[in-house]
Amino acid sequence: MRKSVLHDLLAGRGARFAQRAGAQVADGFTSFEREYGAVRSGVGITDFSFTQRFRIPEEGLDVLERYAAGSVANIRFGRVLHTFAADEEGMLESDLYIANDDENFYLIGESLVDDDKTRSVLDECGAQEHGVEDLSQSTALIGLDGYEAWHVAKELFGADVLGLPYLSIETYDLDGIEIKLIRAGKTSEFGYLLMVPAQSAQTVWERLVGAEKEVAPVGLAAHMGLRLDGRFFNIHAEGAAVRDPLSLGLQWMIDLDADDYRGKEAIEARRAAGLKRKIIGVVPEAGTELRQRAAITHQGEKVAEVITWTPSPTLGHPIGLALFDVPFAYSGLAFELEGAGRVKTVSLPPFTARSLTVKLDEM
Amino acid sequence: MPQKGSNDPKNLLEGSNDMDAKLKEQIDERAHVLSAIKNDLITRLNLPYTPEDLHEDVSLLGSGLGLDSLDALEVILGIEHAFGVKVSEDNISILRSINSIADYVLAVRRGQEVPS
Repeated sequence: MRKSVLHDLLAGRGARFAQRAGAQVADGFTSFEREYGAVRSGVGITDFSFTQRFRIPEEGLDVLERYAAGSVANIRFGRVLHTFAADEEGMLESDLYIANDDENFYLIGESLVDDDKTRSVLDECGAQEHGVEDLSQSTALIGLDGYEAWHVAKELFGADVLGLPYLSIETYDLDGIEIKLIRAGKTSEFGYLLMVPAQSAQTVWERLVGAEKEVAPVGLAAHMGLRLDGRFFNIHAEGAAVRDPLSLGLQWMIDLDADDYRGKEAIEARRAAGLKRKIIGVVPEAGTELRQRAAITHQGEKVAEVITWTPSPTLGHPIGLALFDVPFAYSGLAFELEGAGRVKTVSLPPFTARSLTVKLDEM
Repeated sequence: MPQKGSNDPKNLLEGSNDMDAKLKEQIDERAHVLSAIKNDLITRLNLPYTPEDLHEDVSLLGSGLGLDSLDALEVILGIEHAFGVKVSEDNISILRSINSIADYVLAVRRGQEVPS
């Protein structure tokens, strides 16, 4: 199992660990509510070093085009594409950020498969011939998320960091440490990912938690809730359970004009056949408990199944995702939940994140 | 490419005997509004998708379709033109997704409190 270079430091801070696709993950530090709250109203810091990271020289663009479903060739310099990689059956394998940093592309993947499998797939796409470098051990990836995350980014990297658009990459120097700073996140609040050399990871982590604003350690468990009620795709939850990018509503991540990418034929065949089921938000009526895999019924017939759910401190009640038969896949409807109770389908995202009301370019 | 109309909610519902009338009416009303919003988005913003490709919860701003502020103005114009409702340019919250636009349109039509 691959451990983060930050493992010992985080263990000393009380981290609870879990495992995902062969990599150790800091899952939590205090409580879900505290860590969730830190991101919605302040700043949270998370070790995302469990992700798979690769450097692809610009001449290796073909590798990325064969691997990822999105429009890699159209990523402008300094920008980041959010897309996915699929297996040969067109089922999700990795949730990807691909950053164009001039002479190199950087691939950051949250994956359902382990490092060996991903390396093997990239090799099939020509990685070895193009000098693709695996950075998963030689770097760490630190996430800074929250309504006030921009304060910390500004304190460390200067005011020009506020001009970075969402899904962009820039290189900064922090006391001689080269940091690839990516403005991205999956919580609906401000988010930054810092890719740092492994030997400097602890120094950077300590600098971030020592910022003027209080920065709270946040584990992946809290991110699972933040992604769901912020309506960001989560490969570890609905992605792992459903795996069909079309049923998950990820068509926006696909380059429909791409010549070829892994799984394209299968995805195009399902697209041509038409959707049979799709994911929709659900909330329980008072007294009803959402349960994973519980059937949702109409007049005694199963029309959907609960895929995932989370408590939502922002909403004050749980919220979940269910996979509905297409004729019933609309928000604003009420259904019975198998066993007892009722659920209502809802529009997502269910609220406007406070960060969307802040205009950084006016700061 | 998807077959035209293969998943048109009307076609699917006509063949469904086990859906009660009230639910069918709710779905018909919402499907009509969603279809108009999707078609307008695709046309106005020249999006490379069919209506079926656009999940109703796809984020319009930032992640997802990644519309900018000029696109947002276009979308607001489209909503006002298609449905005869007034949308404040400051009310970005209704542009969270296609579904949130539909919620707003349906609430205005029904004289309900508009969602924020």
